[in-house]
Order: sequence, then structure tokens, then C-alpha cells
Amino acid sequence: MTAESAEILTGQPIAGVAQPIVLDEAHESYFQLVWRRFRRSRVSIIGGLMVLILVILAIFADFFSPTDISQIDLKSSFIPPQQVHFIDHEGNFHLRPFVYNYVYELDPKTFRAIWAEDTSKIYEIHFFVQGPEYKLLGLFPSRLHLYGVEEGGTVYLLGTDKLGRDLWGKACEAGRISLSMSLFGTIISILFGSILGIASGYYGGWIDNVLQRFTEFVAAFPNLPLWMALAALVPKTADSFTVFVGMACIFALLTWTTLAREVRGKVLSLRETDFIMAAKEMGASDARIIFRHLFPNTLSHVIVILTLTIPGVILAESFLSFLGIGITEPLISWGLMMRNTQDIQALGQNAWILTPIAFIVVAVLGFNFLGDGLRDAADPYAAK
Amino acid sequence: MLNYILRRIVIAFFMLIGIGIVSFIVIKLPPGDYASRYEGYLLARGMSQEDADRAANLLRQQYDLDKPVPTQFVLWVKGMVTEGKFGYSFAYGKDVGVLIAERLPMTLLIALLCHAISTIVGVGLGIYVAPRKYGFMDNLWAILAFIFTSVPRFSLAIIILFVLVFTFNQPSLLSFFSPEYVFAPWSFAKVVDLFKHIWPVLVIAGLGGVARNLRVMRGNLLDVLGAQYVQTARAKGLTESKVILKHAVPNALHTIVAYQGTVLPYMMQGELEAAIILGLPTLGPLFYESLVNQDIYISGSLLLIYGVLILAGNLLADLSLAVLDPRIRYS
Repeated sequence: MTAESAEILTGQPIAGVAQPIVLDEAHESYFQLVWRRFRRSRVSIIGGLMVLILVILAIFADFFSPTDISQIDLKSSFIPPQQVHFIDHEGNFHLRPFVYNYVYELDPKTFRAIWAEDTSKIYEIHFFVQGPEYKLLGLFPSRLHLYGVEEGGTVYLLGTDKLGRDLWGKACEAGRISLSMSLFGTIISILFGSILGIASGYYGGWIDNVLQRFTEFVAAFPNLPLWMALAALVPKTADSFTVFVGMACIFALLTWTTLAREVRGKVLSLRETDFIMAAKEMGASDARIIFRHLFPNTLSHVIVILTLTIPGVILAESFLSFLGIGITEPLISWGLMMRNTQDIQALGQNAWILTPIAFIVVAVLGFNFLGDGLRDAADPYAAK
Repeated sequence: MLNYILRRIVIAFFMLIGIGIVSFIVIKLPPGDYASRYEGYLLARGMSQEDADRAANLLRQQYDLDKPVPTQFVLWVKGMVTEGKFGYSFAYGKDVGVLIAERLPMTLLIALLCHAISTIVGVGLGIYVAPRKYGFMDNLWAILAFIFTSVPRFSLAIIILFVLVFTFNQPSLLSFFSPEYVFAPWSFAKVVDLFKHIWPVLVIAGLGGVARNLRVMRGNLLDVLGAQYVQTARAKGLTESKVILKHAVPNALHTIVAYQGTVLPYMMQGELEAAIILGLPTLGPLFYESLVNQDIYISGSLLLIYGVLILAGNLLADLSLAVLDPRIRYS
């Protein structure tokens, strides 16, 4: 036995053998490597930012909305988006942006009531103003709002809906349900998919066979029609929490198949690797191997699939809510806000009620971009 | 190979039974049996209690609702297969089979048209952008593909409807033909008229398909273009277009064929979404209405039909792939 191999076996330095110089090399962890690769893709950074902004808007919706987001004011129904001016109607330039209030006027020709700008008084937009009281995160009472105008003025930058609610504030608030529901549903589906995928790949044999046939069967099912059918079965009278959980479970029911397959493939290849073999030889239990060794190694793939599943759920949720078989009042989601556009008459006169589409598109694009970048970054050891 | 085909068909058959069971569960899941809901519907219409009772009992007998549930399932399947009887729809006062027969051909036509167009366009664009990897057009189409799959299809339908109605004053969207063509025999003008009515659905359902086909084709073609035989072809002095179209594309196409099974459900769902908003008389609006009215035999039967169509699409894709690509092993 040579000195080197003795050293390797015992881990003890052997006298008389030159010690290798260990450089204090900066060591990069897996997540640093992932981040480094992720950072290189500009599109995924943009996607991440889009998602982040929507999340912040949703959490602090009360702060970003100049009015009380739960307020209903039928007198200000369907006000068009208020234009932000710098130059008043007399042609004077103002450094501080301002808005004019809208007043109801009768069109002298058609006798139809229309909203017109009242140029007699200027309402300057101020930032970080005190406004209606709300509870930040549902806990801390606060009156601070990002922007607002003085008493008597209104500032509806995206206009109002039929019930006179500020579309901007409402859309921010709707993000809470749209985003959290899709996240919640996807997490359930991820849990289910990972468990089935790992079990299928790790145990193999008849368990694998049965689970694979089951996965194939669920994957072959038409998602949207079944979602619609199941969502329609959620009772209309159920309370908000039941509806939320019920809808999330319905979405989870059909989205886990992609993940189960991916995780199975990953586990199949990991099962034969040395470190799993070693763990087995040392007598580790199945549970320990699965939770300590296999699951962490599939986690990056799980996160990628999570990110790529969310947009599909957001789209499906908005469609179901739009049809009136998804989320119902008093909960609010982007799809439910779009429900007002079903009335083609109302839509024709108030085209701005289409704006929730923009929020949906930003969310879906953001998650797709993010997931795409993460997928490339998840495996940083692969040569590019 | 014959073995493989037979096995695929047997698996598909078992899937079919599974889909049937799930559809039946959806029919059975709401509380109370179907006849009692029918009775409630009749009572709401002002019928007297006895008459409604009698009508409900008649329905129970006719559709075997008084038998145990597994027997009901077997009878339901038997009724569909032997007599085309899917169950009774009280909103339409007809058997669901009749309703499906009325609407299925047009739904299929639209879905297949959409499928064909989006495949051709998507594959064509894929072939166009792949050799221009990371060029301007490639990046542009990558972003467009992302957008096509990200815009909610129902909102696209609303926007198209909005523009058509308020900008172009084209009101006749809610049917397949303009009034003057409804009873006219098929002619070129009638086909043109049909396209005038269904193009929004084709566009809405097709965009996502174009995007997906484009991405898949681009990826495959890039893989193939890196292969050595392509280099050999280039070294022989063939023109680049010949290298791509004659040598690379045929070998990149088979994945597209396999992919069709995945795109089909996407098309069907796009058609479903768009047709509901645009009110075209296809299966989509019928399905939605039945869910709202709790006309549960329609919902269940249509669920079954959608499942069967997608299953058939997958099966066809698998089989044609087996025929087209001799490299696939059938063990």
C-alpha cells in the first residue's frame, strides 16, 4: 500500500509525505451557480421583475390605491380613465401633474349622459399622502397611500367599473386571489406529483407500472372541459374559503402529471448513482433516502415546473371566473373583473374595463419568462 | 409493429372506459337524481305537482334512473353505443345525442382546420427561423410565440368581438352563415361566407398552436442541423436551401407528428373558449350552457366526447409516427 492510498483511506496525513497545498479557493454553492447562469438571461430577469411587481402590488394593494379598495360608489360608475395633465386648459405649464374631475353632463345632441372633464378646478397629484384608513397586511392600521389628490377630487387612472370602484386598485387587489390561488393550487399539484414521481421511480416494478398508467390516464384527460365541469359543481352558496380551496384543488387535480413524469425520470437516473447506492449500503431507510437524498436533488426541476405550471392555472382560473363558474364575489380575481365585459353594450361605451387583461398577460408572460430562464439555470453543471 | 398498434388500441380502449367512468361520475355527482332536478325545472315552469311527478317518473323509467348506479352506467354506455342515446336534456327537450349530432361536425371541422393551419404555419415559421438562430427574426418570433401563448384566449375573443361590432359594424357573428346562405347549397361563395364567420375562432385557437409548433420545429431543426450528415451535405456543395429542405427538415418532422397529439387538446380548448364568447353554435357554448343550467347529461356526454376526440387524436399521432419513423422500437 502506498502512502497516498493509506492517506486516502485513513484521512490522516502520513509522515514523510509532502502535504498538498490547499488553496483557500472561493467555493460557489449550487445556488450561486444557478443565480450566475440565471442572471445572464435578460428575459428571465425581466420575467422575474414582472412577477415581483405584481406580487408587491397585490400585497400592498391598499397602499397603491388612492381610494378605499372595498368602497362602492354608484355615483361614480364608469368614469373613464382620468388623464394626467401637465398643461391646464389655459395653456399654463404646471410642474406637478394634476387631474381634472369628471362631471356628468348631458350630450346636447343625443341626450345621453356622458362624463366630461370639469376644467374649473385643478387637483394636483401628491405622493405619499394620507387617505382612507386601511390595515397594512391586515394588521397595521395605516392611512398612507402612494398617491392621491386633495379632498373633493378623484383620481381614477384606469377609470372605474359599474359599481364605481377604481379599476387600478381593484386590479391590484384581484392579484391577491389570482396569484395566491394559482400558487396554492400548483403547490398542491407539486406535492402530489413529486410524491407519485418519486415513488414511481424509486420503487419501480409494479408500483411504477400502475402509477405510470394512472399518470397517462389523467394526462390524457381534456383539462379545460373537466375543470369547467368540476368548477360548476362547487356550490354557489359556499363560503369564500371553501370556494378558494375547492378551486385550487380542482386545478391541482389535473396539473401534476408533467411533474410526476419529470421527477420519475430524474429519480430513475439518480437511483443508480453512487451516492444513493452508498446510502443504501449504509442501511439508510427508504424514507431517509427519499427525503434526504432524492427529493433535494429533484427540487430544482420541481421549482422550474412550478413556475411553468402557474401561468396555465392563472389562464384557466381567469376563464372560469369570467364565465361565472370560478371565483365568486366577495372574492375578486382578474377573470372576475373581466366578467363585466360580457355585457357588450357596457363594453362598447366603456372600453377601459378591458384593462384587467393587461394584468393577466403580464402575470402569465412573467411566469413563462421566469420559468424559461430557471429551466436553463437549474442545471448549472451542464455545458452550455 | 402490428403488435404495437394492437397494444396501443387496447390501451386506448381502457382509457376510453376510464373517461366514460369519470364522465358518468360528473353526471352523478350533484346531489339528488337527474329526474328530481327535471321535476324542479318543471315546477318552476308552473306545472302542477302531480304532472311534474308523473313526467319525472317517466324520465326515470326511460333512462333507467331507478336502477342501481353500476347498472345505470352499463345501460348508459349501451344506450350510447347501440341507439345513440346519451341522456335527456330538459333545456332543449331532446336527447343529448341529437344535439351532439347537430353540432359535432362543425366543431370537428373548425378544430381540424385550425389544427392544419396552425401546423403548417408553425412548421413553416420554424423552418424559417431555425437557420437564423439568435438573429432578429428568431428573437422576434420567440417573443411573439411567448405572447401568443400568454394572452388569455377568451379576452382575445372579446377584443375581436369588440372591434368587429363597434368598428366594422359586423353584427352577424353568432352563426356559421349569413342569412342568405343558410339554406343555400354548398358553393364557393358559401365557403367564403363560412370563413368570414369562423375566422376569429381559427385565429384565437390557432395562435397558440402556431407558437407551440414553431418552438418545437425550431428546436428539432436546430438539433438536426448540428448533425454530421448535414455537414456532409454542405461539404458536397449543395445549396443551403437544399440542405435544409431536403436533408434536415424531413428528419425533424417526425417529432412534429408525435407532438400533434399534444397540440390537439390545446386546439379543442381554444375552440371551446373562443366559441363560447363568440356564440358560435358548436359544442363549446352547449357545454357551457349545460353547466350553468345544470343540464348534467349534456355536460357528462360532452366531457366524454372531448375525451374521446383527444384520445383518438393521440392514438392517430402515435400510429402515424409508428408508420413514418422506422427508427422507433416497439418493444
